[in-house]
Amino acid sequence: MKRTIVPFGPQHPVLPEPIVLDLLLEDEKVVDAIPTIGYIHRGLEAMVDRVEYTEMGFVVERICGICSFMHGLGYCLALESIMNVEVPDRARWLRIIWAEISRIQSHLLWLGLGADAFGFENLFMHCWRMREEILDIFEKTTGGRIIHSVNRIGGVKRDIADSELVAILARLDELGSAFDATVKVFGSDASIRHRLGGVGILSAADARAVDAVGPMARASGVRMDTRLTGQNLYDQLDFEPVLETAGDCLARVIVRMREVRQSIELVHQMVDKMPKGEGMPLENKPRGNPSGETFTRLEQPRGEVVYYVKANGTKYLERFRARTPTFANIPAMIKLVKGCDLADVPNIILTIDPCISCTER
Amino acid sequence: MANPFRLPMAPRAIRNLFSKPATRRYPYDIRPRFEGARGTIKFDVETCNYCTLCAKRCPAAAITVSRENRTWAIEHLTCIGCNVCVEVCNKNSLSMSTDSKSVHTHAEVGPQGQRPGHEEWHSPAPEPAAGTASKAATPAA
Amino acid sequence: MDKAAFLARVGEYHKNGWRLAIINATTVPSPDEVTPGVFEISWGFAHELEFETIRETVTTADEVPSVSEFFGAAFLYENEMRELFGINVTGIGLDLGGQLYKTSVKIPFSHAAVKARLEATAAANAAAAGKKA
Repeated sequence: MKRTIVPFGPQHPVLPEPIVLDLLLEDEKVVDAIPTIGYIHRGLEAMVDRVEYTEMGFVVERICGICSFMHGLGYCLALESIMNVEVPDRARWLRIIWAEISRIQSHLLWLGLGADAFGFENLFMHCWRMREEILDIFEKTTGGRIIHSVNRIGGVKRDIADSELVAILARLDELGSAFDATVKVFGSDASIRHRLGGVGILSAADARAVDAVGPMARASGVRMDTRLTGQNLYDQLDFEPVLETAGDCLARVIVRMREVRQSIELVHQMVDKMPKGEGMPLENKPRGNPSGETFTRLEQPRGEVVYYVKANGTKYLERFRARTPTFANIPAMIKLVKGCDLADVPNIILTIDPCISCTER
Repeated sequence: MANPFRLPMAPRAIRNLFSKPATRRYPYDIRPRFEGARGTIKFDVETCNYCTLCAKRCPAAAITVSRENRTWAIEHLTCIGCNVCVEVCNKNSLSMSTDSKSVHTHAEVGPQGQRPGHEEWHSPAPEPAAGTASKAATPAA
Repeated sequence: MDKAAFLARVGEYHKNGWRLAIINATTVPSPDEVTPGVFEISWGFAHELEFETIRETVTTADEVPSVSEFFGAAFLYENEMRELFGINVTGIGLDLGGQLYKTSVKIPFSHAAVKARLEATAAANAAAAGKKA
């Protein structure tokens, strides 16, 4: 039995962001894995000492390019909770519409990357071509494709006209039908089944033991979703988390694909239920400086994100912390990697949807 | 063992082979940006009253304004396109255009130390008769 | 900090099936020159729709026990706390020995570092205000 150490990362063709796993191999099987992160640590949380709380929202948005909207939203929600600001109704609906569209965009990105991880470049390009539709929607409604800057403490800065919302729904439906063809590929293609089926199985008990969140846990049958708490108007929507039971990489792919479909349906429900009209108030500007602390949780595409904000009455926050879902899923990843083949390591690392920029801020 | 002949992506792949590319031939074919897209900040020196509110509210500290010298300067490459300066200006001197920021292939520094992407405007003090504004912009090459 | 009582509470959460959601530390600067600065550590636990926290206040000298025996996933949070805040966490399950982030400024959230940053910001603000006036 020959033992070798192979460093996986920090630069690797399948990794969207740098992370190192030192793999201890016995022939082709991985026996142990030691993670090292810190290649993209920018010290964004230390910026609270230099950046005022009104401007910190822009910094928080830029923690990550994929999860940008939810980060900005979470920051604003946390501060609104501390400062007791009531956000106008239409703004609250617009926020969750953008959030669900952001979820579609993130899952499409991941499906492309997942396909690229086992070499299916055609499918990768195809998923990203569909993602361009979503980015066009964002550019039209918020002004930016990736960084949106529409969330402010107390509301949003731009409105989407009702006619525009109807047009967006039509485009999402078109995207949905184009997406169905891709679902068929992921579900039945021979090479995908071979590479992903039965790989990296995480049982429900294990998922609970390693505190996995998001699609990682839902693909193992654990019914966990922060949107079930009914916050942010989700109690007014008909929503049930997507669950699968197999717990392998293929199940996680299927969970994310079904969530894309579910998000399109949720946006339909939201446009249906939101208050219609022109010129409604969108922002309720807060007064004074924040004082107090709070934990806010949201459901990002990758799982549950926890924001902690502590303010002490000055213009500068005392502490801002974003515990992103990838941070919580890294122990799950390490557990899955142990005992697998070397060729499966890229698939398993990609399957947690690693957003290392979020993890390291 | 999976059936190796199930290739659902094959029709799509063959269709892609015989159709035109999905991508644009940038830079010969540029997609016009949507209305309301964030691009570059445009400044109207005629209406500015040098209240310095935009400089105070800019999160990236990209704008410098001097009330005594009546100069307004912006570092386009530092600007993050957040639109806050446009929102707070009460004279509507600032607007967000959809032009993308130009690329500076040579990182040359101007004579007074201006970095590429620096834009500076200066207007002389208004006289009792109508005062005129002159542009003293010094963009780097 | 009463370690036994704290670990008993954590054990209780684990026994009832709660999930560890976050371990967060905050550097609280001292209000005057005399009292030493403290760290407020919060352990957040989630279960179904609930979210509860345990809050402890410690100083750099205190030893904080690791919760790795109950929640194996805690090692990341505790390594981060030790590396960025200088909090003395003992008994971490997977100890990465200060190699997690490898920041160029060691212990960037220590009281001294935070104080230095706040003073630099105040100085920059004063300079900007002075220049404007």
